[in-house]
Amino acid sequence: MTLTTRPKADKRPPEKNNVIPRKPRSRKRGNAGERTLRNTVIIVIGASLLLLTAYPIGLAFVGSFHYWNPLSGAFDFIGLENYTDLLSSGEFWSSLLRTGVFSVVVIFFRVALGLAIAVAIFSNLTRGKAIFRTIFYMPTVTPLVAVAYIWQMMYNPQTGAINTFFGLDINWLYDPNFALPSIIGMTIWKDFGYAVILFLAGLHSIPEDALEAASVDGANAWQRFWSITLPLLAPMTVFVVITSIISYLQAFVQVLVLTQGGPGTSTQLISYLIYEQAFVKYDFGYASAAAFVLLIFTALLTLISFRLSAGRKNSLEG
Amino acid sequence: MKIMRAIASLGAAAVLLTGCGGGGAGTTVEKAPSGQPIQGTNLTYDPNKLVNDGKPIELEWWMWDGDKQFQAFADSYQELHPNVTIKTVNQPWEAYWTKLPLQLQSGKGPALFNIHNSYDATLSPYLESYDVDLAALEKDYNGAAAHVVDEKVKYIDYGIMTGLIWYNKAMWAEAGLTEKDYPKNWEDFRGIAQKLTKRDGDTIKQAGFNFNAAYNSLGFLQYQNGYNLMAEDAVTPALDNPGTLQNMQYFLDLYNVDKVGSKDFGPKAIESFGKGQSAMIYEWGHLHGTLDKNYPSIDYGTFQTPVPDANETPYAFDRYNGESTPGINAGADEAQKAIAQDFMNFFLTDKEDMKNLVLNYSLAPSYKVLADDPDIAANPVVQALGSLDRYIWPGPMPATFETSITKAWEDVVYNGVDPKSAIAGAQKTIASDLAKSGFTSAEPGYAHYAPSPR
Repeated sequence: MTLTTRPKADKRPPEKNNVIPRKPRSRKRGNAGERTLRNTVIIVIGASLLLLTAYPIGLAFVGSFHYWNPLSGAFDFIGLENYTDLLSSGEFWSSLLRTGVFSVVVIFFRVALGLAIAVAIFSNLTRGKAIFRTIFYMPTVTPLVAVAYIWQMMYNPQTGAINTFFGLDINWLYDPNFALPSIIGMTIWKDFGYAVILFLAGLHSIPEDALEAASVDGANAWQRFWSITLPLLAPMTVFVVITSIISYLQAFVQVLVLTQGGPGTSTQLISYLIYEQAFVKYDFGYASAAAFVLLIFTALLTLISFRLSAGRKNSLEG
Repeated sequence: MKIMRAIASLGAAAVLLTGCGGGGAGTTVEKAPSGQPIQGTNLTYDPNKLVNDGKPIELEWWMWDGDKQFQAFADSYQELHPNVTIKTVNQPWEAYWTKLPLQLQSGKGPALFNIHNSYDATLSPYLESYDVDLAALEKDYNGAAAHVVDEKVKYIDYGIMTGLIWYNKAMWAEAGLTEKDYPKNWEDFRGIAQKLTKRDGDTIKQAGFNFNAAYNSLGFLQYQNGYNLMAEDAVTPALDNPGTLQNMQYFLDLYNVDKVGSKDFGPKAIESFGKGQSAMIYEWGHLHGTLDKNYPSIDYGTFQTPVPDANETPYAFDRYNGESTPGINAGADEAQKAIAQDFMNFFLTDKEDMKNLVLNYSLAPSYKVLADDPDIAANPVVQALGSLDRYIWPGPMPATFETSITKAWEDVVYNGVDPKSAIAGAQKTIASDLAKSGFTSAEPGYAHYAPSPR
């Protein structure tokens, strides 16, 4: 047991003619200022979250149980009808499945390409690293709408660069076999640079000692990558995957610009379905129900990713 | 002290900005214009007055197309009233219909905005009635009376638009065709399309006819076969009928049997026509403005849409739709509304700018003083339309008609769905959407109306 004693206050008066030592800045006063700043920041952030995030989400949740058309002012309680309509709609399930396929493929290539290129740039053999970093990151900072319009031109079967360059004769955006892959291809090109930069940051944080020790032990480059680099990049990989899941389950702009969900509904992703219901048909109730189902799927997938990552971490540590 | 001064400056700036709300970049006008001619016939506009007491005021006018032509109205008005600034804002169609209704619903939005009548039910609650002499308006504008409800009118049609066949004149001449060869029936059209097609083995080099991505207009030609879009009660969709199927099959055969085009050649008919890849397309009159703006080098002509049997007058050649005059935002502030009302009075009597607008979209003008205008009469598109007596107006159709029909056609053309299932699917979607809209068709009002054959 330890006893703490409060130091006794020095009650002696300051000696005459002595220079009065500068009073140390009141800790209490300093804390008070800090506390005010902290409270202000927290209140502002909290209020913003409540107003701009929690309130709309709450309203959408309530609205999902109503026939809700904000333009006509209709807000009639219909119970679970929007959800039952949604879950019995073939269009909804096919859109959801398509969104899943889109997300898995794009995330796979984003991670694989991002990692491969990051490792290549990180290699000591590579010169002009900054140039490569810039080149690969450039599509990421280009507005998606502009990129989509350029790719739309490139996909033109008669005058587009892709068919012309490769001597192909494919109607990329209108053939149901190629329309979704075309959107996937454009999205990968647009977004893999983000993964490159994150993986490069991850590579820079790997302790050189570990890699050197492995080299001394006779591990070749491939073994070092599989046994040291890749496991140590796991947290970054999980981060890229989770942010990608959240982002791609909501993919919308590329569909709007390239195909408007067509031909038919063969490229209709779940966000586009929500958009059509909300802003073409103004059925906000049904759109809100679809958005909530999407939210649940996103949360589940994120949770699974976290669990898988934690399990892998435990097995490595164990 | 510095901090206090900075706060004071910010406050002052905020006050100034607040004060600027509704004001504008225009100059203050002390004296009303004088000696300006009063324009109009029955409905008139007298510009010799001060508006907004001569104080600067700015208002926005939203649109999705035709910014140059609509800007001309704004410019003419601002010339008369330099204290008014009308800022035209052009937005893409999708963004327009996402933003505008929500802005209006929240009590904001532009003082003036263009209307498409397929959004009539959506916009109507937010529209201020025109402050005009209704009797004079009805005398000056064809069809204005149809828009008057309870002695009020919120918008009217400034012109009538429909579909027709557009052809590339150089390709037409190269195939040895003249104006005498305009096909009157679909069978002759097939032959002309074949003449205009160029192939290199299996590869199309020039499509005789291209209907890709034109399904939202092509999908309504069932009227020619005597079939309405709606049942006799005018509220139940009846798209799933033999006439629609027959119409769709004809166009599919043009590609699959006659090989005059392909779903994979020129994925957008308008673009392909503009680029000189396709000899003929079917499109509505607005293409005139699009071609002049985006593909000025294309020399084109037009002719009336063929019919099944040239010796018989069809039930209707096609449907038509009215192009609507701008709406006034009921939620705008009073000063802006007053200017918007004055501007609409000006708009409806501005013959010159109206003429250019009508020509841009190749419309049959509703403004009667333009009926005999030689430039409009000489317009090849207007000429090709002939009499509008045999064109039917289904009413301000909700957007679900066009979107569902487009999906059905795409499913058939690209996804291999059989036409009957696709049309039945479209009808089901339309019926479900209409159940929430309260739409009633105007088909029974057609002068030659007859229920669809059973």
